[in-house]
Amino acid sequence: MEFFTILGYTLLGTLVGAVFSLFPSLHIYNVAGIVLVLWTYLGDSMQHAAVGPFFISMITAFAFINTIPMTFFGAPDESAQVTILPNTIYFMNGKGYEAAVIQGLGALIGVFLMIALTPLFYYVLPYVDVVLSAHMHWIILLIVVYLVLSEWPKGCGFGTTRLDRFSEAMGNVFAGLFTWVVSGILGIIILSKSIITHEMGFQNIMPVFVGLFAIPSILQNLVSTRQVPKQHICTDIDVTANDIGKSAFVGTVSGAICGYVPAITAGIGSIIASHATAMGFSARGDVLFILGGAITKFLYYVGAFLLIFVVTPLTPAGVGKGGLNIILRPIFTAEPGDYLMGISVILVAGGISFFLLLWLSRWVLSWVADVDYHDLYWAAFVAITALVAALTGFPGLFTMLVGTAIGCVPVFFHARRSNCMGVLLIPICLNMAGYGDQVAALFGLL
Amino acid sequence: MKGLTHFISGVTLASFFAPAVAAAALTKSGNPDASASFILVLGGLYGILPDTFDFKLGRFFAKEDVTLEFDPNNPDPQDMANQVGQAIDKAAVEGKFIQIQYNPMRMGANLWRQYVVSYDGEKNEVSVVINEIVNTSQLPFPGTEPPPDKRIGIYKLKNTVFLEKRPKPTGVDILSGPMMGYETKVVDGKNVTSVEFLPWHRTWSHSYVLGLFLSVIAWLIAWWFALENWWLYGLVSFLGYAVHITEDLTGHMGGSLIWPFNPKRFDGYCLFKASDPRTNFTVVYTCMSILIFNLDRFTFAQPVIPLPWYSYFFFVAVIPLAIYHVIYAWAEAPIVKEGVAQAESLLARHNAARNEEAIAEQDSITG
Repeated sequence: MEFFTILGYTLLGTLVGAVFSLFPSLHIYNVAGIVLVLWTYLGDSMQHAAVGPFFISMITAFAFINTIPMTFFGAPDESAQVTILPNTIYFMNGKGYEAAVIQGLGALIGVFLMIALTPLFYYVLPYVDVVLSAHMHWIILLIVVYLVLSEWPKGCGFGTTRLDRFSEAMGNVFAGLFTWVVSGILGIIILSKSIITHEMGFQNIMPVFVGLFAIPSILQNLVSTRQVPKQHICTDIDVTANDIGKSAFVGTVSGAICGYVPAITAGIGSIIASHATAMGFSARGDVLFILGGAITKFLYYVGAFLLIFVVTPLTPAGVGKGGLNIILRPIFTAEPGDYLMGISVILVAGGISFFLLLWLSRWVLSWVADVDYHDLYWAAFVAITALVAALTGFPGLFTMLVGTAIGCVPVFFHARRSNCMGVLLIPICLNMAGYGDQVAALFGLL
Repeated sequence: MKGLTHFISGVTLASFFAPAVAAAALTKSGNPDASASFILVLGGLYGILPDTFDFKLGRFFAKEDVTLEFDPNNPDPQDMANQVGQAIDKAAVEGKFIQIQYNPMRMGANLWRQYVVSYDGEKNEVSVVINEIVNTSQLPFPGTEPPPDKRIGIYKLKNTVFLEKRPKPTGVDILSGPMMGYETKVVDGKNVTSVEFLPWHRTWSHSYVLGLFLSVIAWLIAWWFALENWWLYGLVSFLGYAVHITEDLTGHMGGSLIWPFNPKRFDGYCLFKASDPRTNFTVVYTCMSILIFNLDRFTFAQPVIPLPWYSYFFFVAVIPLAIYHVIYAWAEAPIVKEGVAQAESLLARHNAARNEEAIAEQDSITG
């Protein structure tokens, strides 16, 4: 009976994840939050054994299918191309399907990497976790310091005076620094004195994330004037065994960083991993970036959650990280031996999601060139704003507006968008170290 | 070495101080000296500072003597080679050190025309090769290279000779371009010019004296706030700064180690290339292994890692790194920037054709 429950909820989770992953700017954690409310509302009619399979398969499907809105629902014009990702560049060169297949392949490699890394999860990670948990506050600050100092000047340094050259080249660096500071202050305010109602506390940071990340992307697409080029549906992809090996290596390093360290996203993990492995330099850079990025994304979303099942004497509550782990913590606890179920669910959901990705990509590409991007993004803007309003009311909309103002800075000044993660990293680091209240008091929040 | 390599090296060095690790631990660790201090971050911060000074400050305030002029839409490689060569010739006659700024040819927000400046010590020539248009990922767009007659410019030096046979060529494409220095000395009555890459790099910023001065700031702040073991803050900062300078000595450029007392840039030991993935990853990985080991032994009364140090480093560092190096040696191609390699091969073909032409001409004269 339990087998069919697990299989049934795996298929259901994959379906729900696949459908909601298609919506541009909608994050799976928002969907997970809403599903969780429905789940607790339905109460006894839902089986406890179904929680794990449903949510694992949902996030697995997201890690695959989210490729579609990320790649196909954006047509930035040339002014934005310095800051956009190679998968979008592929799309703008008519190779969107190839980019989707490479990303699907990357996610599949992520599935197999997780199986291969299982012995490390059980025999190494618990020790590392105990050691690093006692030092996580400064490790997070260390990452913040590195990200701030490693933002590279993107200007050409043109100018008649030395000061002109300095300010022309360093514009994005100062924009990045500004983003860190203001998003950090916003994070301290939000987490110390939220204006979101208690009932919607589980979505406390949702409006600010929509503001920081989703709305600026929508605005970027709304101001773009580029048309989507005709798309070629390829029958094979240009990926070598060397590409797979290199991207698996970089993806594993970045996945380990963002899957383990709290509040470190896939983007930040990729930056650090590419610097640590010094492998960013290649004519095949875009293929490696797409493939490695997909592996990182998979390990970041799915791997981080899977670690909740690594129940050992040193880690009796598992080592689970990431947003889904936090969302599910009130209703879900892993038992020893659940890991096998978790990895099996990922295998099934991953296999189905890969083929769904291929099929959905072809379907979306068959009509995407005829769609007016501005209509699509106006619709996304209305939908996401309505969702924020419905869940968090006017306080949420206000928070979203503030987040949007900050989130637009890196987008339009060509700085790293991951700088906006100051909203979580700064307050988390301060709270872990025990200075959170003192800093909040400095801002008059207590 | 790369910024992250210096950064993590600084943190790792700081982790050898038991009081620093204990202070950095959270109280939940059970360590009686734990105070959630951020002291170890200072090692990383100071470890990356020398390059931060150079690449975010020094480069924009360094004054060039000549800026290479060109029309990005219709670059003339011969005119560019003439500008470079004539500037070197003029400086050689005047006995001056000259700095030339090579700006990028920006063609659009994400498009750049790549060009390569190379030197031939045997023929005593400066060459400029115009390559394809590339995007910001340095990926070329095939077919965008100029026609053959607009591809290569060569200038033969008249007043000096190059010190090296093949000074390293410089590729210029994305973001801000490099500055090159040319220093001429008289050797045996002849002008001899050496080529210096990024003359503003690893000068004043890569000085142990400056590191000591800057670490005094951390020291004073810790002392002012009466932090426990206040002296450690300055020491950790200085060591972070110093480890960066020392690691850079393994490369080619070295540093101005005792600026301002002696501004000379001392040569490095040429053991590794700064961008070599193998060196960088090996150092980063080794540092991570040491860091975890130090955090464990200095945080907990009873270390968590159930292995003696030799087993730990054998299984955690030696074996994985050995596997990495074997796979790398098997799979990886030599590290050469592709645009530069392409320009070098084009120049080689061009020179071979010139040689053939010269031989044919000679044959026709001699009959």
